[in-house]
Amino acid sequence: ECGRIISLSGPVIRLGDPITASCIVNHTCSHVGPKSEILWKLGTEFQAGKQHSLPDGTQESTITLPHLNHSWALLACYLRWGDSLQILDQAELQAGYPPAIPYNLTCLMNLTTNNLTCQWEPGPSTHLSTNFTLKSFVSWDNCQTQKDSIPDCMPEDGQNHCSIPRKHLQLYQNVGVWVEAENVLGTSVSPQLCLIPSDVVKLEPPTLWGLDPSPEVTPPQPGCLKLRWESWRPSLYMDQKCELRHRPQLGEASWALVSPLRPKTFQHELCGLLPSTAYTLQMRCMRWPLPGHWSDWSPSLELTTAQR
Amino acid sequence: TALGPAHNLPQSFLLKCLEQVRKIQADGTELQERLCATHKLCHPEELVLLGHSLGIPQAPLSSCSSQALQLTGCLGQLHSGLFLYQGLLRALAGVSSELASTVDLLQLDVKDFTTNIWQQMEDLGVAPAMQPTQGTMPAFTSAFQRRAGGVLVASNLQSFLERAYRVLRYLAGP
Repeated sequence: ECGRIISLSGPVIRLGDPITASCIVNHTCSHVGPKSEILWKLGTEFQAGKQHSLPDGTQESTITLPHLNHSWALLACYLRWGDSLQILDQAELQAGYPPAIPYNLTCLMNLTTNNLTCQWEPGPSTHLSTNFTLKSFVSWDNCQTQKDSIPDCMPEDGQNHCSIPRKHLQLYQNVGVWVEAENVLGTSVSPQLCLIPSDVVKLEPPTLWGLDPSPEVTPPQPGCLKLRWESWRPSLYMDQKCELRHRPQLGEASWALVSPLRPKTFQHELCGLLPSTAYTLQMRCMRWPLPGHWSDWSPSLELTTAQR
Repeated sequence: TALGPAHNLPQSFLLKCLEQVRKIQADGTELQERLCATHKLCHPEELVLLGHSLGIPQAPLSSCSSQALQLTGCLGQLHSGLFLYQGLLRALAGVSSELASTVDLLQLDVKDFTTNIWQQMEDLGVAPAMQPTQGTMPAFTSAFQRRAGGVLVASNLQSFLERAYRVLRYLAGP
């Protein structure tokens, strides 16, 4: 081995920081004259270093790059040998940033998968391989103290969300949850969220039907509509309130809102509408009076009011 | 003395309990429906004799009756009963692959409700110094016994929950 890069101020440095490297050429390297010139090549650009001889005849060249502006580059050490340039060694330079503090951490309890899914914003790119870990614990107070531990949740590569399985959760106790980000240049921790899984249930929209006239259901009055709905099945055990919005299909009328509607009634006669007019209706529900989130609006239901 | 709705239980605790009862009832119904669909075990009344031989215990709620409601005793019986059902559901482990996830979810929800009750007892200062320890559980020695045990445990649990719901509804007021 004739020569090699022996020191580097770090295989990975902070983007924009200076980097120093040394390359030595052994005096035992045959066919090489005592004053052979050592050159450096960063990417495609050759640069000279400061070269000096060591007492044992070894040649050493040192180079300092003021600030590395690429997140990845190749730095090679060359030796001028006759008319040619011989490459002796090559180092991969990586540069980036320590992880920013993850932010906008939010969690929703999914009643279909029974998982608590949390998502966050990772912050600007670090240009480096950065691992995110969702950490959490069960608490019987306001997340000041840990009652039970929960295994770390490791998101899939490149994903900024992770799901904590039901078996690690207590749906009616506080969960302290936060995100840790780590790469070779450092670690950062998001603010902690303290939540009760059953309070952050995201409901799917209810199902809305029109009530067709039948022996049990008298036809609606002119300007009225009869409709029925059912809450999303996995959430039937929750007390909920719902709201209905409607507007004529034609024209630019804004939505009119009917609220609150209790799901246990299961049917509603909507009056005060224009007779023989096609209406678009949507409904959404939320857990109530206990805390929860509104579902999305249901798919539209088109109904036409009776003639006068 | 009969304790009317006047009591020191937080309304949010009672609303959560009612919700948890409904959730566990839904889980229990799911288990009963699957046992019926998959193994044709649809009538717990046909399994009374087997239930006796298996020694499947039931949980008393005598302190929760509306005529003689004794709040501390009632909370204690609710907790002990739920704790018992946690053990019974754990004893059903390996019931069958089709039912495993249903039993697991039921067990987790019962455990959550047990925790909620215990925490409230601690907050009221009426929790025993030590958490209860599980008594001996029935030993199900065959797949059939485990399934039949599942029907009986689910049925007993539903009755227990109905009584619990009535007292919680009474305490939560109109």
